[in-house]
Amino acid sequence: MKRRWSILLTAIIIVLLIAPYSGISGYMVRFLAIIFLWIGKTGCWNIVAGYTGYIDFGPVAYFGIGSYVTGLLMAKAHIPFLFSILLSGAISALIAFPIALPTLRLRGAYFGIATLAFAEAMKQIILEFDQTVGVRFFEGPHGITLPIGPGNVSFYYVGFVIMIAVIGITYWTEGSKFGYALRAIREAEQAAELSGVNTLREKTKAYVISAFFLGIIGGVEAYWLTYITPHMVFDVLITIQMVVMALLGGIGTLLGPAIGASFLTIIYELLHRDFPYTYAIIVGFIVVIVVLLMPRGIVGTLEAKLRA
Amino acid sequence: MLLFLQSLLNGILLGGIYAAYSAGFSLIFGVMGVINIFHGEMVMLGAFITYWIFILFHIDPFLTIPFSIISLFIFGYLIQRFVINRVIEAPPMISYILTFGIHLIIAYTALWIWTADFRTVTTSYSGFNANISGIIIPYARLATFGLAIIVVAGLYILLYKSDVGRAIQATAQDKEVARLMGVNVKQIYAITFGIGAAITAIAGSLISTYFIIFPQMGLSYTIMAFCVVVLGGMGYIPGALWGGLILGVVQSLTATYINAGLSGAITFILLFVMLVVRPSGIVGKGIVG
Repeated sequence: MKRRWSILLTAIIIVLLIAPYSGISGYMVRFLAIIFLWIGKTGCWNIVAGYTGYIDFGPVAYFGIGSYVTGLLMAKAHIPFLFSILLSGAISALIAFPIALPTLRLRGAYFGIATLAFAEAMKQIILEFDQTVGVRFFEGPHGITLPIGPGNVSFYYVGFVIMIAVIGITYWTEGSKFGYALRAIREAEQAAELSGVNTLREKTKAYVISAFFLGIIGGVEAYWLTYITPHMVFDVLITIQMVVMALLGGIGTLLGPAIGASFLTIIYELLHRDFPYTYAIIVGFIVVIVVLLMPRGIVGTLEAKLRA
Repeated sequence: MLLFLQSLLNGILLGGIYAAYSAGFSLIFGVMGVINIFHGEMVMLGAFITYWIFILFHIDPFLTIPFSIISLFIFGYLIQRFVINRVIEAPPMISYILTFGIHLIIAYTALWIWTADFRTVTTSYSGFNANISGIIIPYARLATFGLAIIVVAGLYILLYKSDVGRAIQATAQDKEVARLMGVNVKQIYAITFGIGAAITAIAGSLISTYFIIFPQMGLSYTIMAFCVVVLGGMGYIPGALWGGLILGVVQSLTATYINAGLSGAITFILLFVMLVVRPSGIVGKGIVG
């Protein structure tokens, strides 16, 4: 059984690796790259929320910070792309650390609201910083224009590598002592603490790892879009998409984010252009139905069926 | 000095409105532990009910309030009774996500039907002000503030003096014991949600008289209600008044003395610091954890 899965996975990876050169359209390459990046983002959210049970409503903060770090480095300091996105990840992680220590002491809804507040505060600060201090650095609501990037195929591979890295980290987490600690925190935090798990340290680790990858993805998307504003990269809808995708696929499962992100991105692509409002309404109904009928998501429900 | 007093007064008047539309959020959280993401949509619905009655039948906005109350009470009752009650025993995260789904449905259906146009309710007395030795008090805002205070006080009295209120409180404190005492917990949840929705609708109707309304206004109101309720203490009804006034005054003073754009940043920083330092709210009576 396990062997069959690994053969299947290897086959999928090989197919995806050669796909851009197999004659599929440029539109398809772009579309797949978008899916990869959504899987990456949703996977990052899943590392914190799925395994520790701390529902983060502000992951877009690190996505936005990453976008701005890369944007500023590339546009103003002319630093190469790969180096910029690594710095994006590093700076996001550095900011995440002092944020994690106080917020991860909060429980349940309070953690969610605090993270939401942090993300909104970051957006407002970047919007108003220049005008308040009297400099031209973040460029406020006008945003930053980055150098024109390479074609979609390059971003396809960058997205692919990030997706594999996030899924890989999640896979490693699931089997490691760290992952057991996180799940123990999710199930019964006090019991975990009593059994000798340093819960705050483990939660912080998960949060910082997630912020690191979100920072990188933010940098990649900034370069791909070539133009960023605070409203775009700190958009609360990005957080919401991550949450919904993870929920659809299955929170706290390895492949849930991949399934949920693919599913929702396909629906978006099918509906959004012709029926912009219907897309959001349909997503709303999907969310309500999934919560009421299969709260463990697609992957979680399948797993339970297979076990039974 | 005059400038200071004027902006202080503006802040207090604004704070009253904040309190009015946040009290329902606090009530729903306090009793059911539900963080209601479509709270802002209830403000929006209340505002649009007033708008349409005013436009179609030329009825004074303040007289449309009973329609808002009845419609949203029924709406809230039904949605709790038939949807949210089904997941009320599940982990709280499930209810956030469920209410988020409902938020999408309401906000985008409204956008579809009513388009993204900005609308206002402009009455014959909209521009009238009182001028007291240089300090300007718009009548509409003052009336709104007064009604907002009455709403919060009324909710408080309802909770502490009536039978339904006692049943709601008992359910909030310990739903198992309440059930043993013969309280129909699910029914109480539905009534509580209905009451929360109804007072939020009053706030929505009041807001339509001097703020711009549009179908997608909801999410920012939900976020603001979060801030107000955390500042005042989650689930503690009079706390909404404290939270609303503090937030209103802080925003107004920031806008006057620093930069209007920064008031958002200050609000969220205040919220963040408050959560970390004192999650039980400014008077320390909120529910924690």
